[in-house]
Amino acid sequence: MIGSANEVMTLAAKAARGAGAPVALAAEFGRAALHHLTTGRAAQDLADALDTLPEGPIVTLPLLLMAHVETGNHHAELPASPLPDLCLSYAEAQGFQTTAHLLKDKVILEMAFDIPRPPHPVSRVTLPDTLATKMQRLAARLLVPETDASRRAGAGAGLSDND
Amino acid sequence: MTPAAPLPQVDLRPPDAVMRLTRMGAMFPSRLSFLRSLIRRLADEKVRITRPVWDMNEEGFGHAVYSLHLGGHPYSLVAVSTDLPDELRTDRVIATAWDSAYVLYDGVPDSAEIARIVATAPKQEAARFTERDLVLSRANKSVRLFAHVVQALRDGAQPNADMVRDVGYLMRTTAVYGNGKFGIADRHLISDRPGLEGPFAAEMLTVWLIRHFTHDLVEFVGGAALDPKLKRHLGIGNSTGLGMAPFLVTHPVLLNNWMLARETALARVRAIDTLDPARQTRLINLAHRAAKHLQEWQVPDADHQARIVALRGDWQALLQTLSFDGPRPLDRIMHAAQSASCDLQELLAALLIEPFGDLVDGLCDCMSDPLAASRAPLRHTRELRDHIRRHFNWALVPDYDSPTACGQFWYVSEAKQEPRLGLRFEEPGAELESPLDIGRRIKALYQVLENTPDQAISGFLGTTPEHGLAVERVQRGAAFPYGEIRDNLIATSCLPIDMLRCKLSFFGASKFDPKSDRWTRITLCQGAPLADALDDNADDWWLPVFGT
Repeated sequence: MIGSANEVMTLAAKAARGAGAPVALAAEFGRAALHHLTTGRAAQDLADALDTLPEGPIVTLPLLLMAHVETGNHHAELPASPLPDLCLSYAEAQGFQTTAHLLKDKVILEMAFDIPRPPHPVSRVTLPDTLATKMQRLAARLLVPETDASRRAGAGAGLSDND
Repeated sequence: MTPAAPLPQVDLRPPDAVMRLTRMGAMFPSRLSFLRSLIRRLADEKVRITRPVWDMNEEGFGHAVYSLHLGGHPYSLVAVSTDLPDELRTDRVIATAWDSAYVLYDGVPDSAEIARIVATAPKQEAARFTERDLVLSRANKSVRLFAHVVQALRDGAQPNADMVRDVGYLMRTTAVYGNGKFGIADRHLISDRPGLEGPFAAEMLTVWLIRHFTHDLVEFVGGAALDPKLKRHLGIGNSTGLGMAPFLVTHPVLLNNWMLARETALARVRAIDTLDPARQTRLINLAHRAAKHLQEWQVPDADHQARIVALRGDWQALLQTLSFDGPRPLDRIMHAAQSASCDLQELLAALLIEPFGDLVDGLCDCMSDPLAASRAPLRHTRELRDHIRRHFNWALVPDYDSPTACGQFWYVSEAKQEPRLGLRFEEPGAELESPLDIGRRIKALYQVLENTPDQAISGFLGTTPEHGLAVERVQRGAAFPYGEIRDNLIATSCLPIDMLRCKLSFFGASKFDPKSDRWTRITLCQGAPLADALDDNADDWWLPVFGT
C-alpha cells in the first residue's frame, strides 16, 4: 500500500489500539511508525511490536523516553533491545528536536527540549502489503458491528435525502 | 527595531464560560471564519478563474475543470457530474453514489490525470488517490430547486425568488476530505503555501469552486443565465453529521487557537474607547442586516425554529436600544447582554467584530497549529493533581457512574466506518467506545492521583498506562485554555449538534438547519462574491440577506 503520511500514521495508531494499547500510547506508536517507515527502517519491526501487545516496546518505549525527559538532561542513553531501530524511531519522533544513534547495545540521545521538531513532509509512504493487512485487521477490532437500529438512528440522519 | 506594542484589549471571556456546549452551539460565522479569510485573499490577489474543460451532455452529465492561481501556485477543481437515481441519494457516509464528485488538484491536470480523476472521484472512499489530489469531495442536488431552476431557465424565465431564498443552494456537499484521506495529499505538503496556510483553506477553496460549478451546471442545462442577484444568493449546501464532532475533541490545540483568536478579537474591539460616526453607522446597518437575515432563516425543525423566533424578538429589542455613543461602547453593550441568551450574545459578538478588520484580521494567522505543539513539561504526579484542581474543575463535577452522566457512547460503525452515537444501556458496542470521554478520564485520573504518593509521571504511567490520554490533556490544559469542551460529552444531555455548529461557524456556515440533535444542513458561501466579482466589495457578506 502506498499512502499519505496521515493515513499511515492513523492506521498504525488504530492498529495498536485494536491490539490492546491504551489510546495515548497507540498515538505515539502511530507517530513512531510513520517515522520508522519514512526513514527506511524495517517494517517487520512494527509488526513485531504489534505482536507483543498489550506489552512490549509500544508500551515501554514512550515511558522510557518520558522518564529521560523528566530528568531534564539533554543527554540520555537507552537500552536498544529488543528493537533498536524502533527505539531510534520513537526517539526521533518526539515533539522536540532530537538526534539519536546506536552505539553497541545503547541508543544515544541528544535532546533539545525547547526546539520544536518541525514537520518533515513526505509525499508518499510505502507500507508493505502484509503489514498493511495486519494493521487493517487489528484496526477493524475497534469497529462496532452494525445493527438495524444503529443504521437507522446512530448517525442522526435518515437513509435517503431527496428534497 | 522596536517590537510593535500589543493592541489594547479587555479581559478575555473565561474558558469556563466560552467552552460550554450551549454557547458553542450558538455561534455564528464571523470575519475570522475560514471562508471569509480565504475570499479576502482571493480578492487581494485578484484571482481569475478559467474553465479549460467543459465536457457535459445536454442533461449535465460529464466533467469540467476550473483553474486558478493562488499565492503563485496553480490549482484546479475537477468536477464530475453523474446521473444518480433518487433511491440512491443519501447524504450519509454510508452512501456509495452521489450526484457529483470533486477533486481539488495541485496544478493543471493533463488529459491522463483528468481521466484518472473522472474514473476515481465518483467512487470516493472506495478509490485511491495521489499526492496531486489535495481535497476530495462530493455533493448531492437539492433536486426540487435544481429541477425548478432548470425548468424556469428553459422556459425563458428566472426561478421563483422565494424558492431560491428559502433553499439557498443547488447542491450540498456531504463530505469534504483533506489531509491525506484515501491517499490524497497530506496537509503538511501545502500548509506553507501562500493562501493555504490557514485551517481548512484548501477545503474552503474547493467548496467555493464547487458552488461556482453548480451555477455553471444549472445555467448550461437550463440554457440561459441566472440573474446575478439570485446567483449570488445561491451558496453551496452542506450536510454534516457526527463525523465532524470528534475533530474538536481530538485537536485541542487547534480548537484552542480558533477560540482564542475569536475571543481576542472580541476583547480588542471591546477595548475601543470611542467610535466615530461612520463606524457607528456601519454597526447599525450590520445589526439591521442581521435582523433581516434572522427573518429569512426558516427551518422545519420546530424546536430550532422556536429558538430562531426567540432570537428575532431579542434582537429587535436590542436594536431599539442600540447606541454606540460614549466611552467603551462595545464593552458596555456586551456587558449589558450578559444576562441575555447565548444565541443573542454570540450573534452580538460576531456583529461587534465585523467592522474592525484592521484590529482583528491579523488573528487569522494564529489559527493553525504548524508545529503540532508539544506538551508542557510536567514531571510529577503532584503537579498533575494541582493542574487538574486549577484547570479542570469542570471535569470533576459530574458523577460519571450515574446513568444519565454516561448514557451515551461514541463509536465507529463497521458500515463504511461511519461515526455514530449509541445509548450505553440499550445498544451493543460500548466496549469499543471512541475515547471522547475526556472529562470522565480526567476525573478517573484525579481519583487515582489522590491516593497515589508523589512520583514521576513516567513511573505512574508505567503501572497505569490507561491514564495516558488524560495525562496528555492535563499537561496541555494550562497552555491551551480554550482547548477542551468543558462539558460531559457522554452525558445523555450532550447534543452533538452544538459541536457541529461551533466548527461549522468557523468554516463560515450560516442558516443552520438541524435535522436531528446530531445532524445538520447548512449553507456555505451564500452571498459570497462570484468568481467574476472578486473585486466588488468582496468582504461584505457577513450574514447575507436575499436580493442584495
